[in-house]
Amino acid sequence: MILRVLIVEDEAILALDLEGLVEDAGHTVVAIAASADQAVRAAEKTRPDLAFMDIRLAQGSSGIEAAQILRERWDVPCIFISANLDPATRAAVAALEPLGFINKPFHPRRVQEALAAAASRLSKA
Amino acid sequence: MPLNRTVLVVNDHDAGRYSTVRILRRAGMEVAEAATGAEALRMIEAQPPALVVLDVNLPDMSGVDICRQLKAGGARQPIMVLQVSATNVATKDRVASLDAGADSYLVDPMEPEELVAVARALLRLREAEATARAHVAERDMLLREVNHRVKNGLQLVSSILSLQRRRLSDPQILTAFDQAITRVRAIAAIHERLYRSEHPMTVDMKSYLTDLGADMAVAGRETAAEAVIEVRSEPIELSADDAVPIGVIVNELVTNALKHAHPIAAPTRITVTFSPKSDGSHELSVADNGVSTPSAAENADGLGTMLIKAMVGQIDGEYQTAREASGYRATVTLRRRLDMR
Repeated sequence: MILRVLIVEDEAILALDLEGLVEDAGHTVVAIAASADQAVRAAEKTRPDLAFMDIRLAQGSSGIEAAQILRERWDVPCIFISANLDPATRAAVAALEPLGFINKPFHPRRVQEALAAAASRLSKA
Repeated sequence: MPLNRTVLVVNDHDAGRYSTVRILRRAGMEVAEAATGAEALRMIEAQPPALVVLDVNLPDMSGVDICRQLKAGGARQPIMVLQVSATNVATKDRVASLDAGADSYLVDPMEPEELVAVARALLRLREAEATARAHVAERDMLLREVNHRVKNGLQLVSSILSLQRRRLSDPQILTAFDQAITRVRAIAAIHERLYRSEHPMTVDMKSYLTDLGADMAVAGRETAAEAVIEVRSEPIELSADDAVPIGVIVNELVTNALKHAHPIAAPTRITVTFSPKSDGSHELSVADNGVSTPSAAENADGLGTMLIKAMVGQIDGEYQTAREASGYRATVTLRRRLDMR
């Protein structure tokens, strides 16, 4: 299954790195967003299969809020990729049934494994 | 956060309580009152006061026990305790109260001026303690922010190397980039832990090495055969100054083992051990189940060996390698007392 992926990450270079990893795994990046607002607009326009969601976003916006909106409006699930994945953060997003968590600094292999797991879950759904 | 300045008077004798409350109110203090220990604890839970004027003998529990609870409670703002007793006036009782954490002790009947002066002194002390606590919290927050930034910077470096790598095809150069990325990540992970840790100055090496091992087993799958990396470590808190060299050393030794162990039967088994010795020194070792000779492993990657020796020197360690019946083992002995601020 080829996934259409939205990348939400405010560090432009990290976003590029993620884009490369997603494409190397044979999937498509439909948009890159740096803030919660941008993420919501991009999701509305592109209707991705999933989003890579950083938790601390540009302009002090929250990836958790963006993830909530993505989930409620278009049923887009997220893989959270963040430097602050403490238990409190994990609990805060548990209701959104995340497809996975990746800690920063991330290993490319972890991103590929998360994508593979997401692809198999989404193709069954 | 503004400091709550309420004084709570706890005494089961109505007349005594009334008189204490009146004296403190007349001195301009905001005062609440409780007649039993249970009532006092409920009120403190609902709204922590600044100072508790606590009678030692209460009908339902001992004032000394309440004091111990308040001081052990880890309240966000300190609660001062002034223990008061008419009957337990023996020196040992005063000592027991102060040992339980009371900040001062008065004997009833109290002189009104003295009560007010002691209450004011304790409120001043509390203000100083609250300020000190706020400074420590702020310092920790700043340290966390620094660690967060360092870690993000290292993640950027790693991502830039990864972007560059994607534009290359020569296998030798790709390997060199993979190694560079792995090295940066081993250091970044230290700062990630400093950021997440409760103590922003130290890293728990057990959990760091366990995660590093898991990461390297994942990375190893791309290049080498199936590998099992086992980490045996005591929970040891180290400062970043010591944690970074140890992280780099383990990264190099495990990379070497993944590449060169060549066990007779798969998988490659690598055991990382980091433990204190009875004489106060620490021993770090990386052992595998391979058949390579020490010289082959050492010469395999000139930079890896160079890094290991540089890092061992930086932490005043001794480096030894040995070919054992079960495989190859590299050991770093750290005689110096490790910095565990």
